[in-house]
Amino acid sequence: MTLISLQNVSKSYAGVPALRAVNLTIEAGEIHALVGENGAGKSTLIKVLAGVVAPDTAEIMIDGQPAAIDSPATAYRLGLRFIHQEFNVVPALSVAENIFMGRRYPLRAGVLVDWQRLNRTAGEALSLLGITHIDPRRKMAGLSLGDQMLVRISSAFLGADGAVARLYVMDEPTAVLTRQESERLFRVLREIGSTGGSVLYVSHRLDEVMTLCDKATVLRDGKTIDTGKIAEITHDDLVALMIGRRVEEAYPRAAAAPLAEVALEVMGLRAEGLKPLSMSIRKGEILGVAGLPGSGQRELLRALFGALPLQGGTMRLGDRPYLSRSPTSAWASGLAYVPRERRSEGLALSRPIFENMTLAHLKRLSLGGAFLTPRKERRFATAMGENVRLRSAGPGQLCLELSGGNQQKVVFAKALGGNPDVLLLDEPTRGVDVGAKFDIYSIIRGMTAKGMAVILVSSDLPELIGMCDRIAVMREGAITEVVDAAGLGEDDLLNRCYGRAASVLAAIRA
Amino acid sequence: MATLLRRYGTLIGFLAILIFFSVNLPDTFMTARNWLNISQQLSMLIVAAAGMTIVMVMGDFDLSVGSMASFAGIVAALLFTLGYPVWLAVALALLVGLAGGAFNGVLVSFIGILPFVATLATLTMFSGLAFVVSGGKTIFGRDIPESFANFAREGIALGDFGGVAIALPNLTIAAAIMVLVVWVLLEQTTFGRRLYAIGGNIEAAHLSGVAVRRLKLIAFSLTGFSASVAGLMYASRVASANPTQGSGLMLNAIAAVFLGMTMSEQSEPRILATLIGVLILGVLDNGLTQMSVDSYVRQVLVGGIIVLAVASSSISKRAR
Repeated sequence: MTLISLQNVSKSYAGVPALRAVNLTIEAGEIHALVGENGAGKSTLIKVLAGVVAPDTAEIMIDGQPAAIDSPATAYRLGLRFIHQEFNVVPALSVAENIFMGRRYPLRAGVLVDWQRLNRTAGEALSLLGITHIDPRRKMAGLSLGDQMLVRISSAFLGADGAVARLYVMDEPTAVLTRQESERLFRVLREIGSTGGSVLYVSHRLDEVMTLCDKATVLRDGKTIDTGKIAEITHDDLVALMIGRRVEEAYPRAAAAPLAEVALEVMGLRAEGLKPLSMSIRKGEILGVAGLPGSGQRELLRALFGALPLQGGTMRLGDRPYLSRSPTSAWASGLAYVPRERRSEGLALSRPIFENMTLAHLKRLSLGGAFLTPRKERRFATAMGENVRLRSAGPGQLCLELSGGNQQKVVFAKALGGNPDVLLLDEPTRGVDVGAKFDIYSIIRGMTAKGMAVILVSSDLPELIGMCDRIAVMREGAITEVVDAAGLGEDDLLNRCYGRAASVLAAIRA
Repeated sequence: MATLLRRYGTLIGFLAILIFFSVNLPDTFMTARNWLNISQQLSMLIVAAAGMTIVMVMGDFDLSVGSMASFAGIVAALLFTLGYPVWLAVALALLVGLAGGAFNGVLVSFIGILPFVATLATLTMFSGLAFVVSGGKTIFGRDIPESFANFAREGIALGDFGGVAIALPNLTIAAAIMVLVVWVLLEQTTFGRRLYAIGGNIEAAHLSGVAVRRLKLIAFSLTGFSASVAGLMYASRVASANPTQGSGLMLNAIAAVFLGMTMSEQSEPRILATLIGVLILGVLDNGLTQMSVDSYVRQVLVGGIIVLAVASSSISKRAR
């Protein structure tokens, strides 16, 4: 029996489609996987289901009846329960209070909170997951990340006030859980399935999907690619469906091979969240950094750039020793950084384009480092804007009026404005439309042809394979291996990110 | 039309206030004498608000300017009684302002205390110090050197207007110089640009190589310095020093910067807009006093006008 069916769901953000006529049908008693690459539209689809995002078009049926999910409250009333990827706990409150977040507390005499019943009920929700080591009265702040996640998951299993839970939507629930904790969660999910409840399970961990789920729906570029039974598909086929297109034409070719000279050499670098790591990159080379989210990629770049304090190790930049004390000294030494979150880390959105571009280069673009020379700055911004193919109304336009792709080009212009020797890129094309993506790839190629070295952190595997000379794989804060990108398959790279060599996997299957 | 109103709403309001008083006080309001008087009355507030603008550009603020002004006045007066020459006493009092501001800066940027909490604490500290040092008494009379008190009484003669000698007061000149200096600093130097970048996005500024901590330290030091300038101007004007005489400056300075912020598209503090903000507060006070409106009623009216200006600007911003 069909529990919920979503047909023809479309949603665009500022003209960029995130979902294009997506279909998803979930049967009662089914554990249904939703898989796809980053940016495929999974999160948007979940948000539509949760009543957080209003779709442009959608036909939603629950139990064969048309339904409209216009708010989180409606979603709750319809029996939908969500465990979102982002953590939202209140550290100052107790475990029980977090479990009851957004619900009515049990009362005594109609006004006073019945703390005993509150704690007991919360304890029951926890024990459903076999959790006995967390006291419901403890403060959330004292719990490990894994335990906090377990508490959040338990809150979805709390006895509902009035509305019966029909479908549990779990977005990457196991990201911070141990093996045993995950197994316990899976047992609970299977039990939900066997008693007629449904689960929509979103995960990058395909081995979990293969063992846990009954069916899978694959999204790619905002479209439903296929839906089928897990029993009828292999791991590799699933990866192929997720990745889909061949990559050759999406990336401009390198004009020249990397030079022999080393641009940056790192020996025994240590910082918080990083295990001691060593690597080197040559002039004109693009070194990719792959890995599951949170494997230390961001920390690596920030440590190189002086935004994360070093705990040890030495570095050489060309033939000089290099010490990353602060971003100020990193810029002065010839490094440049394009951070991951352009809105919160890259740009002052309320300031004009030229002020953002020149901020890192004011010393050079002013009179004696002290007095502003706005005309010189505007000339610089206009020239840099042409270099990065920026589409704007002029250097005085405010950054908040630009599209995501053009904002990212402003960040690039700032980074390239000082002709850096080493460019650090963190997810440079995330949330950037296809045309601007190609522009950004071309800019990177143009700079490496002149000898600039690039370290490219990305979760977009085709991008890494298409752009990089070599790819370093990071796992749990360490570089586990560095492989040549030429001839590397995406499924091979994905497996390396999970820490399974392709040969081992083949042996297991055989 | 809506854009025009958003951009110039506060300015139009200011003009309306001017017209209202000109009509109701035809003989006394729009006269050179009254305006010179207003400028002199406002000069201390202008200096304090100019200093406040510097930290508010970064999105911070400084609650301790009022008590710093009192403290600096007390320090100078105390040094006078100890027989220090005027120039040395004034220089040391200004140094105290700079050091107090730097202390605020260290608390905010290096120790990481929220500006509200840090400067609330130093407000109490500076005020307490002023009482301790002065023994709670007002220092006045013969203890205050003539040359110090005369500074506020004198000015540059502008000539005769209808048989009355008119002079540009020294205090007004001091305020004008302060506004000019802060304008150059905020609008014409890399220092100011970096402060605006910090206010726009502190993390992006940090990653763009802006030395955020050092700049915050300098900015708070300058605010403390200007508070001490305002305190000395006040002491000169009343030829005495009292441990509470600067306490009205802080709220008015913040109110003036907020009024000014309603005049910019992105709600950023600008020094010339702050100046308009001070003028609105001062003209209201001057006009309502001349119309013999009760001083408590005056407070209610001034507060209401601040709410009106800020509310209308945030509503029109939300509307787009």
